[in-house]
Amino acid sequence: MKAILLQNLSKTYAGGKQALDHVSLELGHGEVFGFLGPNGAGKTTTVKLLNGMLLPSEGNCRVLGIDPAKEPEKVHAFSGIVTEHAQMYDQMTGLENLIFYGNIFGISSGEAKKRAEKLLEQLELANAKDKKLSAYSTGMRQRLSLARALIHRPKILFLDEPTSGLDPESAQNVNQMLRTLASEQGMTLFLCTHQLRYAQEICTRYGLIDQGHLLASGTLTELRDLVPSGITLEIRGDHMPACSFTKTKKDIYETSIHSEEEIPGLVRKIVEGGGNIYSVIAQKPSLEDIYFTLTSAKKEENL
Amino acid sequence: MKIAMTALIKKDFRGVTDNKHLFSAILILPLILTIILPSIFVAVVCFAPDDPDMQVLYQLLPQESRGGSFQMTVIGLIFNYILPLFFLMIPIMTASIMAASSFVGEKEKHTLETLIYCPLSLQQIFRAKVLASFMLSMFVSLISFVAMLTVIQLEVFFLLDSLMLPGINWLIILLLVSPSISLIAVTLIVRGSAKARSVEESQQGAVFLILPLILLAVGQFSGIMLLGTGLLLILGLICALLAGLLLKKSMGRFTYEMLLRS
Repeated sequence: MKAILLQNLSKTYAGGKQALDHVSLELGHGEVFGFLGPNGAGKTTTVKLLNGMLLPSEGNCRVLGIDPAKEPEKVHAFSGIVTEHAQMYDQMTGLENLIFYGNIFGISSGEAKKRAEKLLEQLELANAKDKKLSAYSTGMRQRLSLARALIHRPKILFLDEPTSGLDPESAQNVNQMLRTLASEQGMTLFLCTHQLRYAQEICTRYGLIDQGHLLASGTLTELRDLVPSGITLEIRGDHMPACSFTKTKKDIYETSIHSEEEIPGLVRKIVEGGGNIYSVIAQKPSLEDIYFTLTSAKKEENL
Repeated sequence: MKIAMTALIKKDFRGVTDNKHLFSAILILPLILTIILPSIFVAVVCFAPDDPDMQVLYQLLPQESRGGSFQMTVIGLIFNYILPLFFLMIPIMTASIMAASSFVGEKEKHTLETLIYCPLSLQQIFRAKVLASFMLSMFVSLISFVAMLTVIQLEVFFLLDSLMLPGINWLIILLLVSPSISLIAVTLIVRGSAKARSVEESQQGAVFLILPLILLAVGQFSGIMLLGTGLLLILGLICALLAGLLLKKSMGRFTYEMLLRS
């Protein structure tokens, strides 16, 4: 049984706007899946469909084998969700909020308190646990939301822009925690973000979405194979012989290659031609490069 | 899911008690209707018994209603026929303050989405919200009744050297009419709150629920329709039936999409 399964999932809102167009995806247990795309691409709609907040117009989805459209409460019982619209109560303290949400998931107050204190410690909020939420900064609220989503020890965690508003140090801490949850506890993470660089740091597999269409999905290596741009080879050197390299800056030369196997031959040719090489960098396409290549291809296809 | 429902009810209670504006709004009306208004009535009857209007009223009463002195008869009339109608406004107003913000208040504070991501069904959340408002309005009503009874007893005892025991009307009101009216109000207001765009909009809608009571009060004062024990009992039973039907009908109406629509 797959952790998450989307089969031809589509959603058209009452006003006629199609937010999701026949998206099919599969996620295994313990995967950290990055669902990437700009604002309005259909990421949040997908999370809402996977939690039964919205009903699909076409197709279906399953979370641990359960259809969220039919049994949303069952999906909620083993899922944790962090979204910017899911806030907590300002008049309650951080600890009180966590205990309340623990109770809502059927956990006794004593056990909820124990779990809450541990999570607050892990997320560096222990000092602010007795402060009312109204005194929390955006970053602190974001971390508390993560603690809230983890209080019932979910099997699947949906995260919608989890590091927005976090300072770099907190973001790093949260990333480390998420990685540990996936690798040590086998938690499946469905992470929606438009920050492609951030996703590349943490995710094991990706789905790229734009205007409701799934452009591609797979590991970074699989996605790189989809784009023709290949590898950019950057060499810092001088006395370069005439070859396929283009000078981009002083002593910096670049060329495009298709595989790493081509590098030794090119380096040998430069050295044998009298050139001096100080450094060689093979730059593989980043998620950003892949995303923009795929979206441009899609636009050209539509023209 | 008992822990979850209890937590939700407690949280809604705290939402009211922690908010000074809401809490004082809930206290003011019962204070006026159960302490100040009855005290004015008792004072008028005791200190201006020769008022011609009062005498005309007294003469109009059937012989069997004129038990004891003039003052005790008129106070008894007010206590058992007029004050119950004012008293019935308390559960409606209390419910309107708490229930009106139940869903839309959470929506405004962006906590509704978090709440519905929990393993409670929408029907369970609705039931918990209704129960919280109903319990608060019943609690406020009961305290108000005890306060009113104490104040009237003390006033009557010190001014007229007697006691004013509540009639059977009060029993019907406390056990049947008040809970039923409260449940109708709470159900309608919570349902309206789920559809409203702001707490103000929800509260404005709730105020209309007081209109039937005002009409009853007019009837009572003008003598068009005297709400006697039998009529009160029938009214109570109709309200209880209506409350049950409304509650049952409202339970299945909600969808996540409807609630989250802004």
